[in-house]
Amino acid sequence: MGRTSARGRRNGVRAARTAAALTQAELAVAVGVTRQTVVAVEAGDYAPSVYLALAIAQRLGGTVEALFGEPSEADRPGGGIEEEAAL
Amino acid sequence: MTAAEDEETMRREGWFVTAAGVVGDLGHPFYDEERQRDVWNEASAVGLQLMLWLTLAAATAMVWLGGAAALPYAVAVVVVDGAAAGVTVGYARRLGVRVEDVGGVLRLRLVPYGVLMVGLLVGVVRVAPPGGFFGGFARGMVLGSVGVVLWMVVSGMRARRRQGRDGS
Repeated sequence: MGRTSARGRRNGVRAARTAAALTQAELAVAVGVTRQTVVAVEAGDYAPSVYLALAIAQRLGGTVEALFGEPSEADRPGGGIEEEAAL
Repeated sequence: MTAAEDEETMRREGWFVTAAGVVGDLGHPFYDEERQRDVWNEASAVGLQLMLWLTLAAATAMVWLGGAAALPYAVAVVVVDGAAAGVTVGYARRLGVRVEDVGGVLRLRLVPYGVLMVGLLVGVVRVAPPGGFFGGFARGMVLGSVGVVLWMVVSGMRARRRQGRDGS
């Protein structure tokens, strides 16, 4: 897996974007990236830079913490790798 | 190197980084888009590694198939490989990214390099003329390569022992 991976981290970008009635292409233009980058961010395949995360949050009217702060399965207490290993 | 020295090094780009930027066309607007840049960097790393494997394989084949007559061409290929790898490491180092952990470099992925390198060096020893520029160069290349490999193995084992002590 490449360095650009966000290792399956969930985020709230897709939900916030649809709530704001924006298409992926419109959000991409607004924050100055390609549509493919927005797709990758929403899918959790790409961890955006702090500047891109701020731009996305600003355009969607939220905060970076609200959009990207949700812990991944592996980070949750009692969840993730240890729990899987115990099964 | 201290943190202040690292910062100063990265701030002062110098002719090498400027020239490398021109060679790599790093001022192109393509690099402004961060994911494009990241993905392209990964693709370039894959391409560089593949190029090193293929050219080393080509040099080995030249020596074994072409004999002494192919030696200058094989040496030229190895020198070009070394220059490309040197610029890559030098550019990263100039911007504060150093491969200091030799133990982390010693991994199974180096086996193809090792096999090709041994094949090349054995071929060079087999066909190198007893005297002359290329004979001396070939012998120097063999000795230098063996020295570098020994240094990497010893440094790697030391680094791993040190990490083991620190971790326990």
